[in-house]
Amino acid sequence: MTEHDERQIREALQQSLPPVKTELHRDLWPAVLHKLDVRPVRVPWYDWALIGLSTTMFLFFPQLILVFAYHL
Amino acid sequence: MDLLQRFALGEIDAFETLVRQFQGDIYAWIVRIVRDPGIAEDLTVEALWRIYRARHRFRLDGNFSSWVRRIATNLALDHLRSRRPEQSLLEEPGAPQPDHLLQREIREKIQQAFRRLPAKLQVAATLALVEGQPYGEIADALGTSVGAVKLRVFRAVRILRKQLNHLGVGP
Repeated sequence: MTEHDERQIREALQQSLPPVKTELHRDLWPAVLHKLDVRPVRVPWYDWALIGLSTTMFLFFPQLILVFAYHL
Repeated sequence: MDLLQRFALGEIDAFETLVRQFQGDIYAWIVRIVRDPGIAEDLTVEALWRIYRARHRFRLDGNFSSWVRRIATNLALDHLRSRRPEQSLLEEPGAPQPDHLLQREIREKIQQAFRRLPAKLQVAATLALVEGQPYGEIADALGTSVGAVKLRVFRAVRILRKQLNHLGVGP
């Protein structure tokens, strides 16, 4: 491939892709502020404690998984 | 304490000042890549949000403008990856149409071939070939070297040449 190829492709792309206007016509701060206000869902500490406790129990007593599954 | 230090500490007023200062630049950069003003606005908001969330990772001795542009470029890249290649590139109403230069059908085939390029090559080709941005700036925004950008442009041109030949279009 030569510089000639690149020039031809460059011209073809410039003629084929519609030009875009790069000026921003509105202030985006309100939208950003709104997005910042939407807080991510927080998992409460007692849920984490429960998950930790369950995992520890299943590690030490794996047969409990079957009991647990039966009652689900 | 200067503006960037206050921003890094999470002061919302400092961030607002930075948003007002940089939103135009970020939008202009993103719209050059995604070529759709509506999507570019959404991505600019998303980029600004990510910038605020990543404020702890900003190094005060670094270049804020480059850091921001890199976040914006990654976001635009993710958008191109998720976009289906069939989606057309928006034509702005009233924008000058180069009908006298290329037939509509040929233009569509070139657009089609362009949209099929891998996202990384598409970004490099858009910024370097269509927008005429300096290789150094593109490399900085992509977090890579000038050589790597040139290689991506080279690969994009080679793929486009092959695809257009296959489609029976010789630019």
